[in-house]
Amino acid sequence: MVRLLIRCMKLSFLPAFAICTVLSLSSCALFKKNNGGEGGADGDYVTGTPLPERQEGTGFMSDNVNRSQFQPVYFGFDSFTVSDAELAKLDTVAGAMKRMPNNIIVAGFTDNRGTEEYNRGLGERRAEAVREALIGMGVNASRLQTVSFGADMPADPGDSEAAYAKNRRAEFGVVKK
Amino acid sequence: MINIAVDGVSAAISPTLQKDLSLSGAFSLGQPAGASYIISGDGSGGSFHGLVKDRSSGVVLSKSYSGEPRAIAHQFADDVVQTITGHPGIANSTIAFVSTRTGRKEIYTADYDGSNVRQLTHDNGISVAPALSADGRRLAYTGYLSGYADIYLVDLASGRRERIVKFPGTNSGAAFSPDGGRIACTVSKDGNPELYVIGVNGQGAHRLTHTHGVESSPSWSPDGREIVYSSDETGSPRLFRIPSGGGDAQAVNTGFGFCTEPSWSPDGRKVAFTIRQGGFSIGVTDLGSGATRVVSPDGKDAVWGADSRHLIYCNGSSIVLLDSQTGRSIPIVTGLGNVSEPTWSR
Repeated sequence: MVRLLIRCMKLSFLPAFAICTVLSLSSCALFKKNNGGEGGADGDYVTGTPLPERQEGTGFMSDNVNRSQFQPVYFGFDSFTVSDAELAKLDTVAGAMKRMPNNIIVAGFTDNRGTEEYNRGLGERRAEAVREALIGMGVNASRLQTVSFGADMPADPGDSEAAYAKNRRAEFGVVKK
Repeated sequence: MINIAVDGVSAAISPTLQKDLSLSGAFSLGQPAGASYIISGDGSGGSFHGLVKDRSSGVVLSKSYSGEPRAIAHQFADDVVQTITGHPGIANSTIAFVSTRTGRKEIYTADYDGSNVRQLTHDNGISVAPALSADGRRLAYTGYLSGYADIYLVDLASGRRERIVKFPGTNSGAAFSPDGGRIACTVSKDGNPELYVIGVNGQGAHRLTHTHGVESSPSWSPDGREIVYSSDETGSPRLFRIPSGGGDAQAVNTGFGFCTEPSWSPDGRKVAFTIRQGGFSIGVTDLGSGATRVVSPDGKDAVWGADSRHLIYCNGSSIVLLDSQTGRSIPIVTGLGNVSEPTWSR
């Protein structure tokens, strides 16, 4: 009986998350950082869309990847919520992906105000939040890879609020065909 | 502090031995008169016989050593510490860390006192998050040679390297189990950064967490049964512990809001971690009493030594050795650019 209940929750959870992603990404804060104190709990539910196999030999920094086609998506301090203000950028990417066959590597980055390994995780979470939003906009999950560089590749190496804001980002690498 | 005297030890061994005994924090080094123990030894490089006598000339330690003078001094120092205090020493250990000396982040190794610095990786990319096995023979790290973050395993004696965790997404933050057979790490292949336990051969990956947040920086309990880590599932990152075979996570209440990079002490009693409150500081939570104290007002990425008393941490430009009991801190690695993410064998 309990198992059945868990299965139902699991099934109902997925569409709820997808709807939330499409309608209002900011409301996903409910899922990401305010779920009532079960941090790290080993629950039987899905927390993201599994990544496809990598295309070996191609990474975000490879020569055959165009990193300047789309605008970066920016984030708040210690946040992986895609704000409403950034959503138009994702619309552009999702729209382009429907017209072109190329796959995209989403790279996540942080400012340098956390510890290194936490920042790697946070950067990855940002990339995966962007990926999840694109999937919610109809992009096939198999076309989207993620990678995190944490605080190691700042867009602006400065130590100011303005620099930090530029560094908390996700970038899009379009894999050339 | 126990009064000891180093008397009649050759010049090749004595300076390192005295420094090791002093850095242990357990002893006051002075003259033989008034010392509770007299440390002596015959021989120098190659072969050495160490002797420890108590006040009534009773022999409490008599042991032969061979090898390089520095290695002999470190081993003898640890035996002196173990014999007199009953606790393990830190002298015969290895540290590793990340340095930007070349302009890129590469992994370096050194003795615990910062001597014998060696550049281990020459990847010319981003090589980070080093973790030494307890025996100091192997090192795992995160490298981007594939274009993605993967975990590599290096045999330090042979230099042989293999890529052991290469799932889609980001694989990082390896920590060896106490027996060296497994690593815990962060893997994002399921669409979210989660904690996994994986054999050091890369096989048998087992997922531990299922959250919407970021799990990172696992550190094993000394019996290998539990893992402490940071998760931001409930807001800012906080510390949790979870059975290494899977099960329910439990919050480790530190009283601080932004806690990352925990290190579980080898005696099992304490967890050191980084607090972010404006700048960074180092906290230690006693798992028995639940009490937390700040042991250093600056620094991050603290990791325990074998004695569960000393920590090493970084403050940007140096790696610092801290006696968590007395507060004495000594920079041990400096002048290598920006240094970060230290790890320490036991």
